[in-house]
This record gives sequence, C-alpha cells and structure tokens, in this order.
Amino acid sequence: MNFTAEAIKTKKKKTAKLVGIDVYIITEEGIPQFKEFGPFKCEFISNRGTKVWPGYVSPDLLMVNWYRCRFMATKDIQDADVTTFLEQFGQKWWWSAVQKLWTYDGEAGYSKAY
Amino acid sequence: MAQHTVTMIPGEGTGPEICEAVRMVIDASGVDIRWEYEEIGLDCLDQHGTLLPDKTIQSIAKNKVALKGPTTTPVGTGHKSANVTLRKVFDLYANVRPAKLIPVVKRPWDHIDILNFRENTEDSYAAIEHMVSDEVAQCLKVITWPGSYRIADFAFQWAQTHGRKKVYCVHKANIMKMTDGLFMDAFKEAAKKYPDIETGDVIVDNCCMQLVRNPAQFDCLVLPNLYGDIITDLCAGLVGGLGFAPGANVGDNCAIFEAVHGSAPKYAGLKKVNPSAVLISGIMMLRWLKEEQAANLIEKSMFAVLDEKKHVTYDVGGTAKTDEYAQAIVDKMGVMAGK
Ligand SMILES: NC(=O)c1ccc[n+]([C@@H]2O[C@H](COP(=O)([O-])OP(=O)(O)OC[C@H]3O[C@@H](n4cnc5c(N)ncnc54)[C@H](O)[C@@H]3O)[C@@H](O)[C@H]2O)c1
Repeated sequence: MNFTAEAIKTKKKKTAKLVGIDVYIITEEGIPQFKEFGPFKCEFISNRGTKVWPGYVSPDLLMVNWYRCRFMATKDIQDADVTTFLEQFGQKWWWSAVQKLWTYDGEAGYSKAY
Repeated sequence: MAQHTVTMIPGEGTGPEICEAVRMVIDASGVDIRWEYEEIGLDCLDQHGTLLPDKTIQSIAKNKVALKGPTTTPVGTGHKSANVTLRKVFDLYANVRPAKLIPVVKRPWDHIDILNFRENTEDSYAAIEHMVSDEVAQCLKVITWPGSYRIADFAFQWAQTHGRKKVYCVHKANIMKMTDGLFMDAFKEAAKKYPDIETGDVIVDNCCMQLVRNPAQFDCLVLPNLYGDIITDLCAGLVGGLGFAPGANVGDNCAIFEAVHGSAPKYAGLKKVNPSAVLISGIMMLRWLKEEQAANLIEKSMFAVLDEKKHVTYDVGGTAKTDEYAQAIVDKMGVMAGK
C-alpha cells in the first residue's frame, strides 16, 4: 500500500477567509499602543505568549523586546489591505514577521493569547 | 505564631474533595492559616463568563501564596487552560516538581530523589498557533534568553540552599539548535555563578531511557516547559504514581502549590482518590512559609499511615476513602505531637 497516496486522498479542502493579521514587532519602548489602521483594529498584544494588553499585567512579568500584536479586520478585507497596512505600520514600528489569520469554513485558524 | 492568609482554589472534578481532606490535615498541624476560597475553571466560565475571575486574581496578588486543586481542560478546540493562564498571569516561571520515593509504595527502586525544575511560561506553551494553510498547522516554540537564564539560576540557587550536588540541563539542542541551543547556553552561563555544583547536560530522549534504567544517577534537572511536563509525569510513575507527585509554581514574589495530576473526573464525588500529592504540595507550601515544624509533623504522620497500610487509598492497594485517609493522618499527628 502507498500510504502517502492514501493520505493525500483524505485531504479536505476548506474555504479560507482572511480576517486579520498577527504582526510581530521588536521594540525597546515597552508595551506598544496603537491607533486604528484603516480596517484593522488591535485586539490584543502578547509577550512570550502572555497577554500584556488589555487586562491585568503582573508587575513581576518578564517581557522581552518582541511582541505579537493581533489586528482583526473591522470589515471585509483583501490581501491588498495587508500590504497597505504594512506600509503605514512599518513607518512607525519595526516588524519582524506577519502571519495572516484565516478562518477555514468559518472556524478560526489561530489561537487566542493566555 | 505567624498567621498566614492563603488563597485556596479547590478546582474541579476530584479537586474539591481532595482539598477538603488536605485542609483538614493542615489545620490540625498547628499552623495558623486563614483560607480564602476562590474559584477558577469551567464553572466560572458558566457563571462569570471567564475561566479566571478577577476576584481570584486579586486574592492571589494580595496573598502571594495559593494552594490549588486540579482543574479540567477540554482537549483540542475550546478553552484555554485556566492553569496555564494562572502561571502566565503571575509569571510563575519555576515549576518545581520533586520526585522522591515514598516508603511502602511498591516500586523496583531503592533510591530516587530527583528535583525537576521545569520552565513554566515559554516554549510551545506560548500558545502561538496558526493554521497556516488548510492542511498545515504550526506552533511557535518561543525560548528567550532571560526566561532560560532565570530558571537555571533559580534551580542552582535552590540546589545550593538545599544541599544538592548536581544540576543537569535537559534539551534537544542537537536538533533544535536555535531554541534548545539558547536554553542550554543560558544554563551554562548561569552555571558559572555556582562553581561548587556539578553541572552537565543530557538529551531528552536519552534522559527518558536513563530515568527508566537507572534513576538514582539524577539529582536536579532543569527543563524547558514541554520536556518538563512529560519527564515529570515519567518521574511520578517511578515513585509510585500521580497520587504522590507534588509541585510548586514559583515566581519572584508569588507561589501556587499544586499536584502534578489532573482532576481525574471519572472519580469525582466518589471520595476515592489519593490526596497525598496535594498534601505533599501543601507540605512544600508550609516550608515555603517557614512552618518547618508543622511540615515535618504532617510528613512523618503521612509516612506512618502509609507504612501501616490500614487506611490507604485504592491506588496503593487500600480501600480507604479520601477523607478516611486524611483523618488517619490527623489522628496520627495527635499521637506523634503528644509524644
Ligand atoms: N494542574 C492541573 O490542574 C491539571 C494537570 C493535568 C491535567 N489536568 C486536567 O485534568 C483532566 C483529566 O486529565 P487526565 O485524565 O489526563 O489526568 P489525571 O491526572 O486527572 O488522571 C489520570 C489518571 O491518574 C490517576 N490519578 C490521578 N490523580 C490521582 C489521585 N490523586 N489519586 C489516585 N489516582 C489518581 C487516575 O487513575 C486517573 O485516571 C483534564 O481535563 C486535564 O486537562 C489538570
């Protein structure tokens, strides 16, 4: 039996819908604050996987200079909106990577922060 | 005598019945503890719309010490673990899990006394996961220099103050050269501050094999989060099962004590499970609070009850209920304190 071929047959195609982005930034200035960027609004910021905005932050919390900033779309968006966002965003913030967030058949393809 | 205020989180499943038994024993030991009961978990979600209510956070932030029963986390989709959230919110970066042989428990070894220091806040537990296409999932493994350095430094410091001789780093840096490599580099840097302690490293797969073949060779282990999770369960198995595996989640200003085991939901309400793991966690808490005398009394009495085998729980071959076992320890403490 060709298990590889069998496995490929079981793949289920899903419909992806772009709903936001995770932008990873490097800053030495502490927890960033954002204005809205066009159709994107910041939902949370995490550092080492721990949510640091909004909500309670322990005064003891170890933070590094690398933040994950989740921006969710406030209306229907296209890939071009991400490019526009990065042009504006990049003027102020130094980003290391971007991950698009999709829903697949309506189900979130991204985890929430702790 | 000092009075302590401790946040008590009974948890879910078998958690509440275990915590009642443990509280009974600790209260009978002569310490002066005011317990502040707070909740976390799925019931909170139903009632308050959150797994971790603000009131619970405030209580721990104020008291800086908590004793906690296990909670239930649904597998796969659904909610985040309230536990992990708690560790992250208070930055309890050191998960201290001793694995020490208990008298009477059946096992093939004469000597095991391993102290595991598991990094408790980073690694693949950072919860940065994405479906990067409809057929590919990805989880970011996040290892940082300061996060790695402080757990190593903490472990060496603990080892030194507790008279331990060896501290080893567990990793897979041969494959994950960046992440585990950084963890090991930070470990080596911290080790320089402790020239009197023997240090070294062991690759995690080999460590598993060695633990099963010859656990007596290990003293203190420092582990990234995920390996620490797995290895500490393995160690629990070596010393008599989850019923006897305690733990502490320690940060710079706050500590939450809890067993390694989960909520064992199939036994909930039956008063059947062994409260020893939470009780030993409570003993660790008493030592943390500098209540050495009460801690020793409980420990000795517990060993004596286990030794007699008359009032022990099912997992060590007895028929006693959770609270009967606890009562036997309380009675034994009365006898021992009277001596
Ligand atoms: N710290 C925590 O709160 C914590 C830790 C681990 C698992 N969990 C959660 O607990 C739930 C159940 O998980 P699980 O079944 O994988 O693990 P579990 O530890 O609850 O149970 C595993 C098995 O170990 C035995 N066991 C556990 N505790 C025992 C005790 N005190 N005395 C005697 N026997 C005991 C039981 O036979 C049980 O069937 C899950 O929702 C899981 O997410 C919570």
